[in-house]
Parts: sequence; C-alpha cells; structure tokens
Amino acid sequence: MDILTHIALGAQVIFQPINLLFCFLGVLMGTLVGVLPGLGPTAAIALLLPNTFHVSPVSAIIMLAGIYYGAMYGGSTTSILVNIPGEAASVITCLDGHQMALKGRAGPALGIAAFGSFIAGTVSVIGLMIVAPPLAKFALAFGPPEYFSLMLLGIIILIYLASGSILKALMMFVFGLLLSTIGMDAISGTQRLTFGILELSDGVGLIPAIMGLFGVAEVIANVEEEIKRTIISTKVKNLLPNLQDWRDSIWPIIRGSVLGFFIGILPGPAPVISAFSSYAIEKKLSKHPEKFGTGVIQGVAGPEAANNAATGGAFIPLFTLGIPVNSVIAILLGAFMIHGIQPGPMIISKYPDLFWGTVMSMYLGNAMLLVLNLPLIGLWVQVLKVPYPILFPLILLFCLVGVYSLNYSLVEIALMIGFGVFGYLARKFQFEMAPLVLAIVIGPMMENNLRLALVISQGSPMIFITHPISALFIFITLFLLISPFVPWIGRRRQKLQEKVEGEEV
Amino acid sequence: MGKNQSHYDRAAAGFFLIVGLFFALYSRSVEVGSWHEPGPGFLPFWAGIILTAMAFALFLVSYARKAWTARPSFFPQSDSWKRVLVTFLALIAYNLLLPPLGFTLTTFLFLAFLVKFIFPQTWMRTLLVAVLGAAMARLLFINFLETQLPKGFLGF
Repeated sequence: MDILTHIALGAQVIFQPINLLFCFLGVLMGTLVGVLPGLGPTAAIALLLPNTFHVSPVSAIIMLAGIYYGAMYGGSTTSILVNIPGEAASVITCLDGHQMALKGRAGPALGIAAFGSFIAGTVSVIGLMIVAPPLAKFALAFGPPEYFSLMLLGIIILIYLASGSILKALMMFVFGLLLSTIGMDAISGTQRLTFGILELSDGVGLIPAIMGLFGVAEVIANVEEEIKRTIISTKVKNLLPNLQDWRDSIWPIIRGSVLGFFIGILPGPAPVISAFSSYAIEKKLSKHPEKFGTGVIQGVAGPEAANNAATGGAFIPLFTLGIPVNSVIAILLGAFMIHGIQPGPMIISKYPDLFWGTVMSMYLGNAMLLVLNLPLIGLWVQVLKVPYPILFPLILLFCLVGVYSLNYSLVEIALMIGFGVFGYLARKFQFEMAPLVLAIVIGPMMENNLRLALVISQGSPMIFITHPISALFIFITLFLLISPFVPWIGRRRQKLQEKVEGEEV
Repeated sequence: MGKNQSHYDRAAAGFFLIVGLFFALYSRSVEVGSWHEPGPGFLPFWAGIILTAMAFALFLVSYARKAWTARPSFFPQSDSWKRVLVTFLALIAYNLLLPPLGFTLTTFLFLAFLVKFIFPQTWMRTLLVAVLGAAMARLLFINFLETQLPKGFLGF
C-alpha cells in the first residue's frame, strides 16, 4: 500500500527531535496568540517566519502550520472564559460557550472544544492525505493560461465570500497587484518603480507588508481606547465532558468536521464561515433550537470542530496548486519561496518529506494541543490577565525585530510602519486586507503566467477561453462577478456578509 | 459629525485615483509592450488604468446610493488620536534611534515610553517592564537566535 510508505516517511520526519521541538513550539505559540485577543495567527506567523531562516524548510513549515491550527484551539478558551473571541473563528463559540461558563460548566465547554478540535483536526488531516495527491496529479496538466485563470478565480471567490463591497475589495486587489510589480521584472530584468532604493529591487517584502497590515495596524487600532475585560474567575474544573455531553456532541463534531474540511478548501475566511454554518446546521437539526444561546454543548462542539477542520482543508490548494486561500496560507507560501521551494503541483512528488512530514506533524500537533489545552488551562487563564498596556509595546517590539532580522534593513522597518498606517486607515475606510495580501503574494505569479500565456498565443487573449479548463475558471469568475446583481443571490450573499463582517481572513 | 460611509468612500476614491494614475503614467517610462509582446510595464499600466476606473466608479456609487448607514466617529474617544499618533511616532523614533543607540538601549527607551505614556502605568511598573523586556529581548534575539542587531555607541 502506497499510502503506508508515505505515512512511514512522514513519521520519520516528524519524530526527529528537532521537528518535534518545532512542532511543539508552533502549537504553543499558536495557542498563545489564539488566547490573546488582538493578535491573530496571521501576525504571529509573520513574526516567527524570519526566525525560521536558520532551520530546514520542513521544520519551518511544521512550526508555522502548528501556529495556524494551534490558534484555533486557543481562540476557544478566550471565547468561553472572557466572552471575547480570541480569534475571529471563535466568535460563535462565545454564544453558548460563555453561557456554559456562567452556569459553572466552563470545564466541559473547554473540554469538548478541545476534544472536538482534536477529532476534527484528525478528520481533516485524513482528508488532506486522500484528496491532495490526486489533485496535484491533475494540476500537472495546467499551463500558464490555466494558472492565470485559476488564480483569478481564487481571488474572486475570496472577494465574493469575504467582503462587504466587491468593488472596494477588487480595488484592494488591484492595488496589491500594482505594489507587487515594484522591483526587478523577472522576465526582462528591468527595474520598475524602485526609485533608486536598493531594497525595493527585490520587490515590496511580504513580511513588512503583513506585519504592518496585521501587526502594527491592529495594535494601533487597539490603543484607541482601553479595553476592559472580565474573566470568569472561578476555578475551572471537571474538564472531561461526561457521557451525556459526549452523546450530545459526537454528531455535531462529525458533521462540523466534514463541513469545515470542504469549506476550508475554498478561498476566503473558511474557519469563520464554517463555524457559523455548523452552528446554523446544529440549530436546525436540534429538537430544541430555542435552547441555543443559553449554553448547550452542541453549540460549542460543532463550530469548534468546523473551524479546526477548515484549517486542514486550507492546506490542499497550497500543496496541490501553490495557491493561497487566505492570508495565513499566503505567508506559508511566502515561506516556501524564501526556503527555495517552488510552490505548485510538483511539491508532493518533489518534496515528499515536506508534504508527508507536515501532514504527520498535524496529527501529532493535534495530540500535543490536547495536552497543552486541558491540563494547562490555568496557565492560559493567567496569560489572559496580562494587561494590554504592558502587552502591546512587546507586540510592537516583536514586529520591529522580526522585520529587521529579515534583511537587516531599516528601509523594511519604514515600509512596515507605512503599511501600518495604510492598514489602520484602510480598516477605518472599510477596505479588506486579505485581497491586498494575496495580491502581493500571487501578483508576480499572475503576471508571469499572464505574459507567458500571451506569448504562447501570440498576443491573443482568447487563449484563456479556448483552453477548456481555463474557460471553465473564467466562466465561474464572471458568474461570481455578475451574480451579486441578481437580486436573489445578492440577498443571500448579503446575509452571509453580515455574519462574517470585519473578520480577519 | 454627520459623516457617513459615502464621505469615507469619496476620500478613498480620491486616494486610489491618484495611485492608479501614478502607476499608469510611471509604467510608461519602462516598456509597456503590446498584447503580442507584453513588456515589464504591461501589468502596471493596465492595472493602473483599471484601478483609476474603479476609483471613479466608487466615486459615482457614493453619490448614487441614498440610504447610508451612519458611521461612528473616526476615533472612539476624543483623545484617541493622540495615542494613535504617539504610537506611530514611537515606531518611527525606534527606527531612527536603532543605529546610533543600539538595540538594547533603544528597546528599553521604546518600551518605557509606551508603557508610561499610552495608558499611563506607575513608574515602578514601567521600569520593571522596560528593564525585563529589554533584557529578555536581548537574550532571546542576540544571544539565542543570534540576530545581528545594531550595537550602537555603547557597544551592546
């Protein structure tokens, strides 16, 4: 059996002590940023990326992936105990989770969130193992026109699902494309818009951009006013859910896992959307829908499982197509490139240790998270008590050092501050960050594929329509762009928007 | 007061209009090329044109729509802008002071300043956070991760 050799290979990778260490560090950091409101996984991964330069790409990716799914675990803790979502994806957990805590059932709520996340994490890893390799083989047939159309479709789905105003999100995307053209042109070697600044000839750095947009901008928005929080101070006990809790939760967890995995493959704020969808489904299926919101365990188990499964699904487009579906995956893609790994359908066959090692690390990471979250819950509660006035200067310091250590360049720090100003203002003006970040990452890929496709077709843009796969992508793209003007679909989309509004993608 | 989303949108449209035009014009100084042979200026030129057109559309839409939901004021508190501005200035100061003063000293000053002046804490707390923060950062980044940070005139 082919898959067993692969699993064995992955196990070999992950059980190297150094990789175990990085996996542990990743899930630990992830839980930490998940617990802390106001610092998301996007900023955390960007912060740690520069520090992974000295290690092998496999260890780096294992750690960065750990941060991502670790944050989903940590986010639920804050939701349940403080009623502030530590993570956008945990918004829905506040509803019933915090109610359970108020009723003195914080323990089972935290417990089922952790177990549900564990089961979902495992389901999505199995899904990843089954779906990714054949999809990658299929994608090998893609040429420049297919890739260009696919990236266009990806970004449009993201915009469609995530944004209030499609026009404004498209503007951010085009703005990001423009920024991504700064630097040396990969095909002709011409310097573009560098204004004689040496640092810019490599292009606008992804890390300064992300640290500015997600780190600095977020901190600045939080110093506007002091946030007061009240933490449930009673001692959390009885973390293990009882038999009745399990009976109530097991189906919501399974449904949430499957749902989350498939939503996770789509571009957009999948953990958020899947959590909301799972809650809605459980409420609809329940015999007592009126009890939702008063502290029923199904309302915690389903969404928590769904948002964890979604993180696993999000890795599929990354490993099979080299296309990011959200900001976190975009940074991981940046990490691939920094470590000299060309993203695309060849990854699984060319770097089997990377793919299977990461997959197996996710199994192990999920187990570690269970250990980290249940017995150490007291520690995380203490972390929550660190006052923000002391925390935010430290976060800024990490941003500064993180960016500086990338290239030892003060220009990049200035760039980060500039992106911080822009990100802060853009949020005030209700513009989305995700299309901008994605455009900066895939902009150069899109440009090269566009130009190559045009060279192949000798200048005819019709190549995007005469190639059948590309034509399909273009057709769906156009449909999505036109559909908001169809009243029936437009209204449904608006309803979805109201749910996910203002979330970090 | 009385500002709604349309005012915000118009200001944003103005900004992106300028950005789009700038890129479209600037890209002409490198070779734009043609559909047959797209040059390095091809994407910036067309993307700049598209952004300009979209900004124009946003401008029009902001006039066309009638029902705007009222927006909360730009800053939630009347003194919010001070904290926002000062934090940005502190970041810029850090960037400027890093080479002459060195990492450890700049970090100490940066932490102390923000802890003391953004949401004022006691001096005791300020010094504790700044000293511990700077020392831990030094240990972590310079001694453990071996990041090459500027040493400054003091040599540490």
